[in-house]
Amino acid sequence: MAAEQKATKEEVKMDLFEDDDEFEEFEINQDWVENEEQVKEVGLQWEDDWDDDDVSDDFSHQLRKELETISADKK
Amino acid sequence: MAYVSMGEAHRRITEYLNRFCDAVSYQDSSMLCRLLSFSSNSPSLLSLADALNVFQDASSLIRQSDKFSEYGEILAHLFRSLQSYRVGNLVEAYLAFEKFANAFVQEFRNWESAWALEALYVVCYEIRILAEKADKELTSNGKSPEKLKAAGSLLMKVFGVLAGKGPKRVGALYVTCQLFKTYFKLGTVNLCRSVIRSIETARIFDFEEFPRRDKVTYMYYTGRLEVFNENFPAADTKLSYALQHCNPKRERNIRMILKYLIPVKLSLGIIPKDELLQKYNLHEYMNVVQALRKGDLRLLRHALQEHEDRYCIVAVFLRSGVYLVLEKLELQVYQRLMKKIYIIQKLSDPARAHQLKLEVIAKALRWLEIDMDLDEVECIMTILIYKNLVKGYLAHKSKVVVLSKQDPFPKLNGKPVGS
Repeated sequence: MAAEQKATKEEVKMDLFEDDDEFEEFEINQDWVENEEQVKEVGLQWEDDWDDDDVSDDFSHQLRKELETISADKK
Repeated sequence: MAYVSMGEAHRRITEYLNRFCDAVSYQDSSMLCRLLSFSSNSPSLLSLADALNVFQDASSLIRQSDKFSEYGEILAHLFRSLQSYRVGNLVEAYLAFEKFANAFVQEFRNWESAWALEALYVVCYEIRILAEKADKELTSNGKSPEKLKAAGSLLMKVFGVLAGKGPKRVGALYVTCQLFKTYFKLGTVNLCRSVIRSIETARIFDFEEFPRRDKVTYMYYTGRLEVFNENFPAADTKLSYALQHCNPKRERNIRMILKYLIPVKLSLGIIPKDELLQKYNLHEYMNVVQALRKGDLRLLRHALQEHEDRYCIVAVFLRSGVYLVLEKLELQVYQRLMKKIYIIQKLSDPARAHQLKLEVIAKALRWLEIDMDLDEVECIMTILIYKNLVKGYLAHKSKVVVLSKQDPFPKLNGKPVGS
């Protein structure tokens, strides 16, 4: 089961950059019921306020260390 | 192929003929759809095909009855196509189906009501699929593929039939989407323009009247075209529509929409939440998003490089237009990095934080495995300022970027870079 899942994941992973991207056909005689909540939920999956002043992450720490060595060099 | 006796073959063919003619007489569109869906490879169609290949002279059966001979031309071509399809002569199958389709469309025009619209959809779908298979056959025989292009012409004809004032016009969007799929496959996306113009400007069409499934497909393709044309706000609107209204169970379609929507959103300064990337298996974008969040140029380059090397399909990626959008993100990642440097400087020496020495920037870049001399750094900073990603000016002699005291790193706020 795990091997199967991995295989599917690999397959799907390669799919992302295949040129085709042909949209699959929807069933002609059946329309799906639209759930208001679902529609809204999809809209909430984005962040536009991620560009904050937070420098507490690892990357920022390492960057800070790197920049401090410059000032150390100068002294 | 199973053995079929002449008697059984006769029975099967007659049964189909009756079903077909009754479907038309009683305006039973669903029945007609089933009778025409070659690609479904339904047992009844396959067994009919076997019967036809045994009987060989179905035309005589058709001629014998007034009921059948009314649709004689349509049926003869259809049968010939099915026979060829069954034995794998796909070019022959396509040619006969094309003749069938032409005859069917003529008949369809005469039917006043829109009862057979779904059957027409089936015909449009089948002709495209058959054309693709025929082209594969041609290519494998060293010949030039031309059937999909021909199918495109036929689809345009069908579009013309539906582009009128009556109830049949709601079918036009379905045909448009089949045309999109055809043109995208052929790489002749410029041909999409004329149908788009018809749909969006002709007075007979009211976009809201079209079935939702066709609107979703339409927005997906026109959204992709906006990406190619680098109209990111328009791409955002259309792809977002497709995303919001797509059948939530069709995860592969949702994933395709996101594949294009995410780079568009990123270039507008909006990032997808991790849950979204996880849910639809979009790991390829995780590193890109991380890089943007952190200002990590090395990670961005690595992310783009990885796909180049790993899948060896840069050309493919380029064609899909996504790569170019992702490459442009580099400037936004630069902005984020500069902002980080600024914030870090503020922590240790707030009075002078708004002065970014080119030397310091170069050191940070070198740490990220990007080797640039001070002239090159100056160049990048000039671009960032020009594109309004950085507010400030370059003091060339002192080799410093002097940042504006107010809002030195303007947010994109849903507008693309440099607009």
